[in-house]
Amino acid sequence: MTSAENPTDKSTIRFDQLDSLMNAMVDAFIVIDARGLIERFNNAAEEMFGYSSDEITGQNIELLMGGRDSGNHDRYLDNYQKTGKKKVIGIGREVIARRKDGSEFPADIAVGEVSSGGQKRFIGLVRDLTDLRAAQTQSFRQRQEMLNTSRLSTMGEMAAAMAHELNQPLSAIANYSAASLRLLDKEDPDIESVKEALQQINNQAHRASEVIRRTRDFTRATDTRREKTSVQDIVAEVKPLAELDAHANNIALLIDIPANLAPIEVDSLQIQQVLLNLLRNGVDAMRDVDPAYREIRLSARYTAPGEVSIVVRDQGQGISEEVAEQLFNPFFTTKNTGMGMGLAICRTIAEAHNGSLEFRRNPERGVSFALTLPTQATS
Amino acid sequence: MKGTIYIVDDDDAVRDSLCFLLKTVNLDPTTFTSGDEFLEKYDEEMTGCVLLDIRMPGTSGIEVQKKLQQLNCKLPIIFITGHGDVPMAVEAMQSGAFDFIQKPFRDQELLDRIFQALEAHEADEEEANHQRDIQHRYVSLTPREKEVMEFVVKGAANKVIAIDLGVSQRTVEIHRARVMEKMEARSLAELVRMSMLLEQ
Repeated sequence: MTSAENPTDKSTIRFDQLDSLMNAMVDAFIVIDARGLIERFNNAAEEMFGYSSDEITGQNIELLMGGRDSGNHDRYLDNYQKTGKKKVIGIGREVIARRKDGSEFPADIAVGEVSSGGQKRFIGLVRDLTDLRAAQTQSFRQRQEMLNTSRLSTMGEMAAAMAHELNQPLSAIANYSAASLRLLDKEDPDIESVKEALQQINNQAHRASEVIRRTRDFTRATDTRREKTSVQDIVAEVKPLAELDAHANNIALLIDIPANLAPIEVDSLQIQQVLLNLLRNGVDAMRDVDPAYREIRLSARYTAPGEVSIVVRDQGQGISEEVAEQLFNPFFTTKNTGMGMGLAICRTIAEAHNGSLEFRRNPERGVSFALTLPTQATS
Repeated sequence: MKGTIYIVDDDDAVRDSLCFLLKTVNLDPTTFTSGDEFLEKYDEEMTGCVLLDIRMPGTSGIEVQKKLQQLNCKLPIIFITGHGDVPMAVEAMQSGAFDFIQKPFRDQELLDRIFQALEAHEADEEEANHQRDIQHRYVSLTPREKEVMEFVVKGAANKVIAIDLGVSQRTVEIHRARVMEKMEARSLAELVRMSMLLEQ
């Protein structure tokens, strides 16, 4: 009588228990032999990968591997058996796994080794990280957005305060001039009153220009925080948020920043703000274009000795002659929800850094914005 | 068009220019440099409309609106708002403001709103006066006349009223005539309308 036929045999009970234990596990549980062929595959694994235990048993574990691990597992096993060097056994790591339908997902694997009867086996525990990653991306996005709003709000607040301050004299001018026109339309116009109104209009125009002068002084006064940094570092800060923004709109973001650019001395936050703004505009410009064109390129290069340009190039709908003329004017906007301050502030920031912000139309399609900044001598 | 335009704005230039503009179209503006000043000088006899700046130091436009409502003020309020104040303006509208206008505005836009507000206020006043008159007339009825009026507006025939009140039909007829006379109602329909106004 073999042990399997005897229900009271100790090992059989253990085996049954192991089976139900395996199937009760939330994580996928996979046993492979020394050649990498699958021996056991629990319920969770069936659900996670989409294979039934029957069809996967005897197949190579590589079937379940995605990304750069696929096609390499045989080599891993080989290596381990030759060198005894553990890359994953007893350590665990994050991998890309592949389902039966070919889709891939991030997974955490932990591998253990068992030897019995002179046979080596590997036991793998696989946990699907999709939900965790989604939650992390979400919280990362929220953090970045919060950061971004707080940066924007200072500018937004400034812009709103400026708008309010300018609105007052403009309203007064509108009222006085409208009243004057009405007065002059009367049969016997009261010239003295009109004169009085004109004097007021003159005063209010000066008041408005005073508001603008004060705002300029204010932006200058805030430009005190300068630190030595690199274009790469600034782009690295901007990249995660820009990527989220781009990918959410099915736009590819290509970044091409040479590693050997000379350092720059800037207010990092402000320059990040400019780049984010330009990238956002690029994304907005491509929302409705053919998917084939949806690509933003962020690159940097020397344009002159001691001068580097960071270029944001989109393939969007472009900018008309009419719009181009007013592009950098405060309160000019083509968007439904915009203050029209973005590019105006960007240019102010560029100029405060002794740089410039220019745009040109690309030969094929879309536009490029170039933020040019002086570099520091490398010492 | 009768009534005064009460301009409440902390900005000298805006306030004075509004005043100047309204005078050229023969309106009757008076100005206040703050919400507090207006609240201080406010009295029930005021008629016309209020041009109220939404953003003011001290008591804000919205707060002025609330306080005026507590005082049972019926003056229509037109809010003057800036670029970013639209949410506030919406709130003000929901609280019963007559309208709002964004700075800087076209003069005709403002004048149209002012005229509409004055008209609405006049109509309100008329209705309020009418209601007050009817109230006065009703108070002058005797208890028995009030009883009869209650039956009459429900469409009861004299005969039915007589039985219900235990008086002769002739007596009901006399009371009924007195009610119509005192209430200055020319028809039953008008009397019904008046009784509906009294219930409000």
